[in-house]
Amino acid sequence: MTDLESDDSLLLEFEDDDSESISNIDAPTDSKATHLDSDFANIPPHNVDTDDSEFDIDESQFSEDDLEDDYLVFPIKKTTKDLLDEDSLPSLKYECLTTQEIFDSMKRRVHHLQPVFSLPPQDILILMQRYDWNEERLLEEWTEKMDNLLIESGLNTSGESDGRGVKNGKEFFCPICCEEILTETFSLECGHEYCIDCYRHYIKDRLNHGKIITCMDCSLALKNEDIDQIMGGASSVKLMDSSIKSFIRKHSNSYKWCPYTDCKCIIHLKDTLSLQEYSRLHASRFVTCSMGHSFCFGCGFEIHAPADCRVTDQWVKKARLECENLNWVLSHTKECPRCSVNIEKNGGCNHMVCSSCRHEFCWICGGDWAPHGSSFYQCAIYKNEDKNKLVADTPKKTLRRYAFFYKMFTEHEVSAKLDWKLGETVGFKVKGLQEKIGVSWIEGQFLTESLKTLNEGRTALKWSFAVAYYSDPSHNLTKIFIDNQGLLSNAVESLSELLQIKSPEVIMKRRTEFYNKAGYVKNRTKALLECGRDLLRKGISKARE
Amino acid sequence: MSLKRITKELNDLGRDPPTSCSAGPVGDDVYHWQASIMGPPDSPYAGGVFFLSIHFPTDYPFKPPKIAFTTKIYHPNINANGNICLDILKDQWSPALTISKVLLSICSLLTDANPDDPLVPEIAHIYKTDRAKYEAQAREWTKKYAV
Repeated sequence: MTDLESDDSLLLEFEDDDSESISNIDAPTDSKATHLDSDFANIPPHNVDTDDSEFDIDESQFSEDDLEDDYLVFPIKKTTKDLLDEDSLPSLKYECLTTQEIFDSMKRRVHHLQPVFSLPPQDILILMQRYDWNEERLLEEWTEKMDNLLIESGLNTSGESDGRGVKNGKEFFCPICCEEILTETFSLECGHEYCIDCYRHYIKDRLNHGKIITCMDCSLALKNEDIDQIMGGASSVKLMDSSIKSFIRKHSNSYKWCPYTDCKCIIHLKDTLSLQEYSRLHASRFVTCSMGHSFCFGCGFEIHAPADCRVTDQWVKKARLECENLNWVLSHTKECPRCSVNIEKNGGCNHMVCSSCRHEFCWICGGDWAPHGSSFYQCAIYKNEDKNKLVADTPKKTLRRYAFFYKMFTEHEVSAKLDWKLGETVGFKVKGLQEKIGVSWIEGQFLTESLKTLNEGRTALKWSFAVAYYSDPSHNLTKIFIDNQGLLSNAVESLSELLQIKSPEVIMKRRTEFYNKAGYVKNRTKALLECGRDLLRKGISKARE
Repeated sequence: MSLKRITKELNDLGRDPPTSCSAGPVGDDVYHWQASIMGPPDSPYAGGVFFLSIHFPTDYPFKPPKIAFTTKIYHPNINANGNICLDILKDQWSPALTISKVLLSICSLLTDANPDDPLVPEIAHIYKTDRAKYEAQAREWTKKYAV
């Protein structure tokens, strides 16, 4: 308790700072409206190897749990599993695929279906495509109306294949382009014959639509081999690819694209029932693609525990709305509280040392660092207004409350990003350890592990402010939650500070500290996540407009 | 390429004109046509002449022509700007279709509207619930704008 009181002055100072800024919020600011959005695409993926193979994560460390799970194809990327390490939740059974892999599995299904239809595989492929790769529906319709189904799908039922294919060059008048030239032509069994150039133009337009391509004048379907024959090369692959893409769009409950920029992975959730269990428990369904990108299967956003998808959605929407007003929060430089020199934060740690006057202060509250280092980390606590000021106009108060939480959220977002930059140097540090003092690779892994833990802690901390914002501030559990935030903040900051150490000798000497602090951060993260979910489950924290 | 095809279609229209419609370029621009459709006798549009504008894209016939009514018409699939909701003018377009075939399709759309895929939901609603009221309204608009 004494700690809390001694730091009151700091907090007041911070709030004063705040009110000043808020009075200026109507001033036009430069646009950063899509801050959350655009940055998400650039967030460095978890566990991406920044260096070389030496920097890989040690697989053996994860071998005890979850490996029995057949579907979890990538047990190494265990970030999400760490966060959801709970008995009450069913494990998510998912796999990471590419469109080609999905198509290959479709082809295997076509192979299985062949005895049923006794048709060439190409024809079954057309049928499957027509029924959006829905095997059950296709079989149902097939038993009901065999021949009609073939005709409707544009398959030739006469059994003759006369006239199908590319025909040699001849003098030909094409009714499409109305040219009379020496050209190759193509037609199906229907005899609708057009020049090869027109057919190429026609097919090229339709490859991206993912639908069955038919004769230009009737409903007879072009098979993949026809398309390849006309276009030359394997153009039908492109058609199949877009057909699979439209299949994914139609099955967005169980198939999701990885939302990271340029990532071509598709996550297929094998059992959608567990999803309901997850939403009932206000837990989020985090998945990791084979490129190591983690995201929430429910909302497609980044990992946002302890917030659930609803809170996240509300929070992001709100952030987008309020962003214009709160731009000042996002500025990357701050003045040194003592000498007013502009300082840019270049590392994840909030312990700042002014390069000109050597003043040590906290980046978040701007107060002296001394009370932070050893005692309870105060900056995570939003303190209600002064009792005297309570009568003041509520909209401003609400905005100020939001501003506080938003500020905390972005601070941790920025810190997390800087931590990733730190990650690159950690790779060098591990190398340095190996070269300078001859530490083995396994022994050096505690650095990368610590960084991973740090990042998980920061992400949890960041999103915990979204949960806290929507929580009933008077409830005891909220207070416990805020205490938990404080504890985690403290743990994260001290770990982050450790990771700033450059000298390999010092790092090795303080190795146990790394272990202890990382372990502590892990425990605190878990506690915070559990507490956050409790808040949501009990309805103390509720997303609202 | 599109030029040859458009010229051919124009010649064919001249040689064998469809009974209920006509079409031809506006001025010198072969890519911009005007067309007219006679209201089908078995529809509330009977007696009216409806004008349409046709714009050919440069990659015609691989892309559909842009066709819109310039005469006001009361129809569930044609809106106040004259835009027509017709599948063959959108994703069901095929290079083997011609302006003459499209105009005939529009004629049959006038006879048989498609209220389940409406462009103007209000008219579609009246069409489905009070057919007589729809027909009276369509006749009135025809008299007012198309005669």
